[in-house]
Formats: sequence, structure tokens, C-alpha cells
Amino acid sequence: MEHGAKIVIDTRQLVKIYQNGSEELKVLDDVNIKVSNSDFIAILGPSGSGKSTLMNILGCLDIPTSGQYYLDGLDVLKASDNELAEIRNKKIGFIFQKFNLLPKLTAVQNVMLPLLYRGVKEEEAWETAREKLSILGLEARLHHRPNELSGGQQQRVAIARAIVGTPQLLLADEPTGNLDSKSSGDAMEIFKELNRQGNTIVIITHDIEVAEQVRKIFYIRDGKIHENG
Amino acid sequence: MKLKQLLKLILINITQNKMRTFLTTLGVIVGTATIFLVVAIGKGGEAQINEQYSKLNVGTIIVMAAPRGRVVDPLTKKDAQLFLASENITRAFPVLRGNGDINYDNYSTSGNYMAIQPEFQVSNNLIVEQGRELEEEDENKKNKCAVIGAELANTLTDGNPSEIVGHSISINSRKFEVVGIYKAVGDSGSGMSYDDSVFIPYSVGERFLLGTRANPTINVQATSIDTVQLAIEDITAILNETHRAGGAEQFRILDAGSRLVAAQESARSMSMLLLAVAIVVLIVSGIGIMNVMFVTVKERTREIGTLKAIGAKKREILGQFLIEAVVISLVGGVLGVIVGFVAVPLLKYFELPALPSISGILLGLVFSVITGVFFGFYPAWKAAEFNPIDALRYE
Repeated sequence: MEHGAKIVIDTRQLVKIYQNGSEELKVLDDVNIKVSNSDFIAILGPSGSGKSTLMNILGCLDIPTSGQYYLDGLDVLKASDNELAEIRNKKIGFIFQKFNLLPKLTAVQNVMLPLLYRGVKEEEAWETAREKLSILGLEARLHHRPNELSGGQQQRVAIARAIVGTPQLLLADEPTGNLDSKSSGDAMEIFKELNRQGNTIVIITHDIEVAEQVRKIFYIRDGKIHENG
Repeated sequence: MKLKQLLKLILINITQNKMRTFLTTLGVIVGTATIFLVVAIGKGGEAQINEQYSKLNVGTIIVMAAPRGRVVDPLTKKDAQLFLASENITRAFPVLRGNGDINYDNYSTSGNYMAIQPEFQVSNNLIVEQGRELEEEDENKKNKCAVIGAELANTLTDGNPSEIVGHSISINSRKFEVVGIYKAVGDSGSGMSYDDSVFIPYSVGERFLLGTRANPTINVQATSIDTVQLAIEDITAILNETHRAGGAEQFRILDAGSRLVAAQESARSMSMLLLAVAIVVLIVSGIGIMNVMFVTVKERTREIGTLKAIGAKKREILGQFLIEAVVISLVGGVLGVIVGFVAVPLLKYFELPALPSISGILLGLVFSVITGVFFGFYPAWKAAEFNPIDALRYE
């Protein structure tokens, strides 16, 4: 690995317990993951395995019951609400299964959003957003609303929004789950290309075919992580 | 996020839901228009009262027979002279009022006439436009002359008032020579317009028109506004002394200052009542805004989750929805002010004096914004407090 030295994700003994009445449900059990810069990994598991909870914690949307999580060297669990929002804004790019584009905004406005929340000037944000959309072949779709775009195109807008702020980590949750096989193949090619350009990518999936296209697979079952099966 | 971009985002959301936004603003429109009109009516009423009473000296006191009371022995010209003994009184003169048929050159109308002493013209700011005013000599010699109000002169001459001076008119079949016309003074505030009246010397009125039925009121002028109360006490004492049969109770003593205050107070309480109505309307419309904002927040739960995931802070979500509520209410406020402006001529048509003012516009807008902030806060706060995971999972 070219930039192998730097660790982007470093979790230590992550435990997440949901309290359901008097019953305790251990969703994550002693999860230790290290992801280096420019890694391309998949977290593979069936539904109910705890992979969504893990993704939420890695994405700084949720906090573990115990354990430690360093993102790009930063102790995430010590951050305040506002600091967490800033970490999500600058260090993480989310790609959701259902794309989660804002329906009333055009493609380019959707892509601009993370930069605007960062305080970047509008003209500059627009130019950057346009550039990312062009790279993903959506130059002609800048002013289309999500409902005027195909699923594959929506996915690419979502990817553009995730990478527009050059985050340290791209986090994709079932990125091909809502796509036909062709679009889904296209999406994987985009991820591979992004990885070649040095992006660190973590894909959460239950689809073994998707997982097999990445460099490293973590299997998750009943809250426990196993590397390579 | 910078405010400018936040506003853009909010405008995109509002304009793409025009119908809902408009329906939400309806209540605010009504509320703001009401506040605007309350202030306009208040100002208009105040201006009207001030105009009416500007002609009436605040030191003026009027002594008259008590309404519905039985007067055993009426006021006389002599009482006026007795009042002058008080050190608090500078002027006192009797006035007789009556109405009857007034004829000029085959034209007949029924109208008011007032029998006055020359001083009346001074204390009521009556100034002649043409001819001369009533003089002391007319009083002493019982000259059968008359000065008429501008409006009446106009009516009698069919729009050519100047011709009447020097000619005679008859009041209840008694002839009087018209010696002058007064300038128009507007409503006197006493319920009887001077412009529509004819004025004759007191002594003449007493003798020829009213005779023994004469029941004058006495206009008294206190030395200053501060001595009005003292003057009233003196008048009461004198009346008790001279009218032993019925005492001062059979008369009513009014002072212009307290009438002015009473008129202003009734106008003010009217305004307060309307204002209370406006505030109730705004509260109801505010609850409407709150409802719509709750629906909006619920509809956009997943969007809020997404915004949080890409880095929106709590205060930015709070700000977005709060400003959205404020913008909606402000739109209603601006439309309400416009509606108010449209309604002003309508009120004037119904003879309600309304005076649009900057303070009315500001008060209306301020209240509409307060409504938006107050009722928009809770839904916005709820949105800001959403747990991002639950929000993202929301269907």
C-alpha cells in the first residue's frame, strides 16, 4: 500500500448493548477494526448481524457502550455534539442505500450542501460540486431534481456529495442495494476508481458478490468480527 | 452554513409548497391586518377627537339643565353675571338653542338657531367670512339681525352664499336681517354643528323666539385649565345659593377637558378591545403555524437525518426550521399590511376614521414575526434534537 502507514479507522473493544426492558442485547461484541489509508474494505453480514450499528458508530452517528474509536487519529468518543457534526462534515462521506438526496434541491445543490455546511463560499462550492458531477458523467444533469434522474444517476449524485469535501473516509451502506445489476456494476467500478485515486472506502453489505470485489473483507456475525471468514 | 445560503434553502422549501404556505399564512394575514387597522382606527379616532376639541377651549365649562331632570327654576342671564364674581372665572354668558323653520327667498329648511352674546364668538373661534359678526350693540338694541353658518348659507342660497348677506331670512316666521356668514368650523363636538346653525343676539332670541320657555345653558370660561375644578365648585355654590328651590342638582356642569379625556379614553378602550381580538387571531394562527411546522418536520425527518449525517449542527437545523416559520409568518404579515391598506378606504366609506401609520405597519409586522418565532420554536427544536440514526431510518 502506497500510504500504508496512516491508520484511518482504529476501534478497540467496541461494545454496543441495547437495553430492551430488563433484557440486554449485545449488538456489537469486542469489535476491533483497523483500516489504513487508501484501504478498500467490505463489512459483510446478514441482517441483524450488527453491521448497521457498526456503520453508525464508524460514521459518528452513534456512540458505543464501551470501547474506543479513533478516526484519523482523533478520539471520537470525547467529541461534543458540535464537534461530531464537524467530524461528519469534514472527515466522512456517507453514501446511503436509498441515496437520501434532498428531493427539492437540484443535483448540484445537493452536492454543494456539505461544503456549505463547512462555510465554503457559494460560488466556490458550486464550482467544486459541478466538477465532481462532471467527473461522474452528470455534467448534463446539474439542474435536475432527484425524481428526474434514474437510480444509477441518483447514486452517482450521492457519491459526488460524499466525495465533494474530500473526506478521509467514504462510508457506503448497501450502495448497490437499490440498483439494477448494470448500475450496480457501474457503481462498483466508480468505487474502485475512487480507491485507486487514494480514497479510503468502507462498504457495508450483505451481498457476497459486492464484497468479493474489494481488497479486504470483514465478516460480522452476532456482533463479532472475523477477518476472512 | 452562512445565513444567505440557509435562507436560499428555506426559500426553496417554502416556494415549492406555495399552497400550504399560503393557507398557513391566512391567519397571520388576518391578524396582522387587524393590528394594522386597530392602530389606523385608533390614530384616526384620535385625530378626529383632537380636531373636534381643538375648537373647544379646555378651560370651557358648560352649565346646563340636567338631562331627564325636571328643572324647577331654569338658569337665567343673571346667573351668568353672578358666576363672574368668582375669581376663577373670566367669562360667563348664556346661550339659547332651538330649532325651527328657516326661510329664505321661498326656500325653506328646518334648522338650529342659537341665541348668543358676542363673547360666544370669541370663545368658540367663530370668525366671519363675509359681513360682520354679532356685536354688543345688537345685543343692547335687540337688533333683529343674524349671522349664519357656512353650510346653512350654502343650503339656503343653493350654492351661492354671498348673495344672502344684507337680505332677510325668517326664523319661525320672524324676520331677521343677515349681516354676516361665519367661516366653516367643522363639527363642534357638542353634537350640534355650528356650520348648520343660525346665530342671533341673545336678547332677541330671549324675547322673540323662546320667550318664557327660555332655558339657557351658560358657557363659562375658567381662568386656566388648573382652575377648572375650583370654578366648578364656585358655580355649584352659587347655584345652590340662587336656585334654592331645586339646588345645583337640577343642573349638569360639564367641562371640556374631562369630556376630551372621556372621549379619548373610550377611543382607547375600543382600540384595546380590537387589539385583544387581533392578538387572539394571531395566537390561533400561530397554533396553525405550529401544526404545519410539525407536519413539515415529520415529513422531512429523513432529510433532517441526512443533513445531520453530512454535518449540519443542531443549531443549524433549529435555525433552518425556525427561520422557515418566521418567513412564513412574515409573508403573512406583509400580505396582512397590504390587506389593511386596502381596507382603509372601505372603513372611510363607512365613516370610520382610519389613518394608516408607520407604527401600525411595524406593530403588525413585529407581532407576525413574534408569532412565527414563538410557535415555530418548538417544532424546530424537536427537529434539531432528532437522533440522526432514527431520523435516517424513518420511512
